[in-house]
Amino acid sequence: MIQLYNVFKTYNGNTPALVDISLLIKERSFVFITGASGAGKSTLLKLLFGWERFDSGQILVKGMNVGKIKKEKLYLLRRHIGVVFQDYKLLPNKTVFENVAFALEVTGASARSIRYKTSDALKSVGLFKKRDSHPMQLSGGEQQRVGIARALVHNPAILLADEPTGNLDPDISLEILKLFEMANQQGMTVVFATHNHELVRRANYPFIILDKGNVVRP
Amino acid sequence: MFYSKHLNRAVDNLKSNPQTSLVSVSTFAAAFCILGLFMVLYVNLDSLLATWSRQVQIIVYLNDDLKKPQLKKLEALFAGNSEVSSVEYVSRQAAWEKFKNTFSAETEFLETLAFNPLPASYNLRFKPGPRRVENIRRFAEELRERPEVESLEYGEKWISRFEKFMVFLKVFLLAIGGLLGLGLIFIISNTIRLSALSRKNEIELMLMIGATHRYIKTPFLLEGVLQGAAGAVLALLAAKGVHAYMSFQFSDSIAKIARDADFLFIGPSGILILFGSSVAVGWLGSYISISKVLNMVNES
Ligand SMILES: Nc1ncnc2c1ncn2[C@@H]1O[C@H](COP(=O)(O)OP(=O)(O)OP(=O)(O)O)[C@@H](O)[C@H]1O
Ligand SMILES: [Mg+2]
Repeated sequence: MIQLYNVFKTYNGNTPALVDISLLIKERSFVFITGASGAGKSTLLKLLFGWERFDSGQILVKGMNVGKIKKEKLYLLRRHIGVVFQDYKLLPNKTVFENVAFALEVTGASARSIRYKTSDALKSVGLFKKRDSHPMQLSGGEQQRVGIARALVHNPAILLADEPTGNLDPDISLEILKLFEMANQQGMTVVFATHNHELVRRANYPFIILDKGNVVRP
Repeated sequence: MFYSKHLNRAVDNLKSNPQTSLVSVSTFAAAFCILGLFMVLYVNLDSLLATWSRQVQIIVYLNDDLKKPQLKKLEALFAGNSEVSSVEYVSRQAAWEKFKNTFSAETEFLETLAFNPLPASYNLRFKPGPRRVENIRRFAEELRERPEVESLEYGEKWISRFEKFMVFLKVFLLAIGGLLGLGLIFIISNTIRLSALSRKNEIELMLMIGATHRYIKTPFLLEGVLQGAAGAVLALLAAKGVHAYMSFQFSDSIAKIARDADFLFIGPSGILILFGSSVAVGWLGSYISISKVLNMVNES
């Protein structure tokens, strides 16, 4: 499903962000990526959906050779992936419903299936009632639910989460974690980057520790 | 369906930056109005030239007292030139009648003239064709050498000068068209760049959730095209206004210069060219800038 072989990544010639990373993430698995700030967690996720290019090595995602995909064709990879961000990345001038529907709209889905799937995704994160609110009218936890609904709505094979609970209270964080577990149970591969050790310990999934760009214990 | 959604987004973009949009639309309008007025000038001079050169003829004034065989010889010469379309003989008497008719108000003065001062002449008209003026000139020089010919008259010199001027005007039109086009591409690309940068987060998100480049670019391209089209429509309206004003205000002098020719506006193909190039410039300018912004966002 996700395979990395001897991957190196350096940002404009500075200190390396990822050093000789090789790892395998199986289909339908749930994996944490942890490590101190600056360890390279975000960088690793960005490589997986083709947001950053890497210097050498190989990355295979859903059978696609990520390093070989042309910029104009990266959307093909990204349509298999849902991404959840620490800062939610919601569009403030769109309603909750429109924010989630947006992920389907850009793929050219029909209006009917957009309506249907968006409602479904909002129900699954428990926010259907707030579909007409704007992001600014929601709490942080609710905003992140919208972000998760948007990542789930096109039913991707892989869910990448970069510190999705970084801005949230511990209680809310656990609820958010449950949503990812639910997605995992429905068959999605989840890669969850966090430096919240509490969360990692309670959930009891395999984890990858990064330290200064190196894998410490796979 | 695909385009109506993008069109909505484009219109939203226009509305969210009303000032920059307005500036670029009015710059388009001003530039294409100038271009349009030059085209009006060109179209009218061109039709004037066509009218005049259709009327170009050689008037061969004859020496007095030519004998029949000499006239026959000249007529054979005219008939032998395949470019000549018609030959009209005007006798001294006929010329005198026509002269008197034309200046009938001055009959008193004319009565005092005891003799007919006018020579007989041939009026030669020529077939239309690409090397018409050239042919006329060559034939005129040939005729001038004939002993039967007293003198001859034709508008060759200034017709060919006029034709050269029209070529110059065409080159000039293309040149200012090109320059204005470049300036407009610069302006529109700036406008679209501002519009795209104000939506940088949205573009970034669209890329992340799997939008194609085409999907992201299309509303911005439409935005540029809309601005170009709006500018062109305003420009054509303004140019038409100036045209209408001028034909009203100067109708007398225009009638004098152009005889019965009308003061023309740009024809349908000219309008299409103006509109098409305005739209093309809008598209090109926005294409350049949205591609740049997309690359920039994509690199990060
Ligand atoms: N766009 C960038 N340009 C240059 N250097 C960068 C960039 N992004 C990250 N880095 C560097 O790469 C290294 C890894 O950063 P990364 O963001 O992957 O760490 P992280 O584990 O996600 O940290 P955090 O927990 O703080 O989010 C750091 O040294 C960081 O300074
Ligand atoms: Mg990070």
